[in-house]
Amino acid sequence: MREFWETALLAPLISLSERTLALLPNVLAMLIILLLGWALAWGVGLAMERVLRIVGLDRLSNRLGATRALLRGGVKADPSHLIGRTTYWLLLAFAVISALTALNLQPINEFAHSLLAYIPYLLTAATILVVGYLLSNFVGQAVLITAVNAGLPPARTVAALSRWGVQLVAVAMALEQLGIARNIVVVGFGLSLGGVVLAGAIAFGLGAKDLAKAYLEQRLSERTSHQSSDDLRHL
Amino acid sequence: MTPAATLLTVETEARLRDIGEVDILIGIPSYNNARTIGHVVRAVMAGLAKYFSNRRAVLVNSDGGSSDGTPDVVARAVVDYGAMLISDRQGLLEKIITPYQGIPGKGSAFRTIFEIARRVNAKACAVVDSDLRSITPEWIELLIGPVLDQGYDYVAPYYLRHKYDGTITNSIVYPLTRALYGRRIRQPIGGDFGFSGALAQHYANKHVWESEVARFGIDIWMTTEAIASGARVCQSFLGAKIHDPKDPSADLSAMLVQVVGAVFALMEEHQSVWLDVSSSEPVALFGFQYGVGVEPVHVNVDRMLLNFRQGLTDLESIWRQMLTADTMEGLLSLKDCPLQSFNIADDLWTRVIYDAAVSTQRQVLPKEHALKALTSLYLGRTASFVLETQALTSMEAEDRIELLAQSFERQKPYLVQRWHESAIPE
Repeated sequence: MREFWETALLAPLISLSERTLALLPNVLAMLIILLLGWALAWGVGLAMERVLRIVGLDRLSNRLGATRALLRGGVKADPSHLIGRTTYWLLLAFAVISALTALNLQPINEFAHSLLAYIPYLLTAATILVVGYLLSNFVGQAVLITAVNAGLPPARTVAALSRWGVQLVAVAMALEQLGIARNIVVVGFGLSLGGVVLAGAIAFGLGAKDLAKAYLEQRLSERTSHQSSDDLRHL
Repeated sequence: MTPAATLLTVETEARLRDIGEVDILIGIPSYNNARTIGHVVRAVMAGLAKYFSNRRAVLVNSDGGSSDGTPDVVARAVVDYGAMLISDRQGLLEKIITPYQGIPGKGSAFRTIFEIARRVNAKACAVVDSDLRSITPEWIELLIGPVLDQGYDYVAPYYLRHKYDGTITNSIVYPLTRALYGRRIRQPIGGDFGFSGALAQHYANKHVWESEVARFGIDIWMTTEAIASGARVCQSFLGAKIHDPKDPSADLSAMLVQVVGAVFALMEEHQSVWLDVSSSEPVALFGFQYGVGVEPVHVNVDRMLLNFRQGLTDLESIWRQMLTADTMEGLLSLKDCPLQSFNIADDLWTRVIYDAAVSTQRQVLPKEHALKALTSLYLGRTASFVLETQALTSMEAEDRIELLAQSFERQKPYLVQRWHESAIPE
């Protein structure tokens, strides 16, 4: 009974506690690295923002038109703040990976290394999303103005669809870059876009057939001056 | 950019060597104008024979690759001088028919004309549109005479037009140019101008041919450059301006981008000239003035108002970025205004244009977006002007345009103040 107690029950517990105790310094190291990393990231991020403000990055950005470009894209933060926050998140990401490596566990080490190798893809995906967001705002605005000038009543809907369309493309590209459900994203995006185009064509064909007919009649028949809406000469 | 050295074709270079130097150059830009250009060329030939018979002259047709035989019409055009009682034609009029290089547009066509004027060392030049139906030989005398005989550098046209003809000119370009540069040139983008050889050289030396200037912006650029360079400027009364009807639905917002975009770009370039100008002065007017009937213009006010109201709803967020809160408030008060009392007052319209100019300078929006977003506002103002003047004669409507021009002058301190405020802090 005693032997059973020692070998079957106590031995695994002792082994587990020994392994846990052996891991404890690593866990402690991980926590320290995480804490120091977070503090460093916070401090460096803040310092970076302050220094950039002092050296006049925002003024330079104003002069070069970069701030206006960000504003036009809907980003209201100034460049110093943006760079400060980006620095903070990058350092924090490195701290988390270093902290995980400190555990010195094979699976976690492998995970940390793969996370490190994944960072370039993450950065590319983030860049695609940012550029896609800026581009979608630009396209949405251009479509809205053009649609209003053409007198299209659903101008805002058309503009919103254009904006979402560009954002959808950007998200699909970013996910493809990250390797997340690559096939599903490509097929899903193709189906969605095809569906939108088909739905639009059907909706236009059914809903605006009279308009299309009138337009074609007006274009194909010889237009006389009294039929035109006006003959204002602007220049 | 096409360098000046490759601007002219080998054939044109050879013709220029044959021709040598001339006193007068008349340029006609064209693109598919076979229907009207024959009349314009004959008027030019008759004008040169009648009024400048002892001068060497060259007629330049700068064509944009017409497919309707426009260059052939120019080459074949002849004048029966006898029937016009012109007997002392001494010199031979040379003709150069050449394609132009660069962005398709009137400005690129003019660039070739300026370059040829420089090569032939012309003393006086004129450019006339190829779609004119009302041009007479006297136009040539009136555009060239002030340069050759009176020492002027730039002759702007002065036409009699229907009150609703040239609405961008009347509501934006004329009052704005007058308030900015202090010269009352009534048709700053008229399209038919006279200028000295020195000024042609000045134009040819500028590097603006990739911008709006290469297209519809050329007219205001020529006028503004003439004023800003300190050239002696005058006007000539040419009577009615009747030209071949174009598609009225030709992209209005593209016109606004090119013309108003050019005006705003020139404001930035010449701010040292206009910021200190506080009033305007009349410009000498040559020619015998007479009354003339003008073609009626049909206007669809409802469509314009509909577009303006849609702009108020759909473009409000964009307009708020371009205009001040006060200006926006003034516009929004018109949202539910009935047709009979709809009115964009002169002062409000002036602020709209001044705010738009400042916002373009500040680049709060992409430039093309900001200029295109003006289309609905412009249509609203045009509708307002039509409603206000529908019972008036063209002369009485002209008085209304004068009041608008005075409003632009009166509120110029507002523009100057906002312009200074928008200067980027160091």
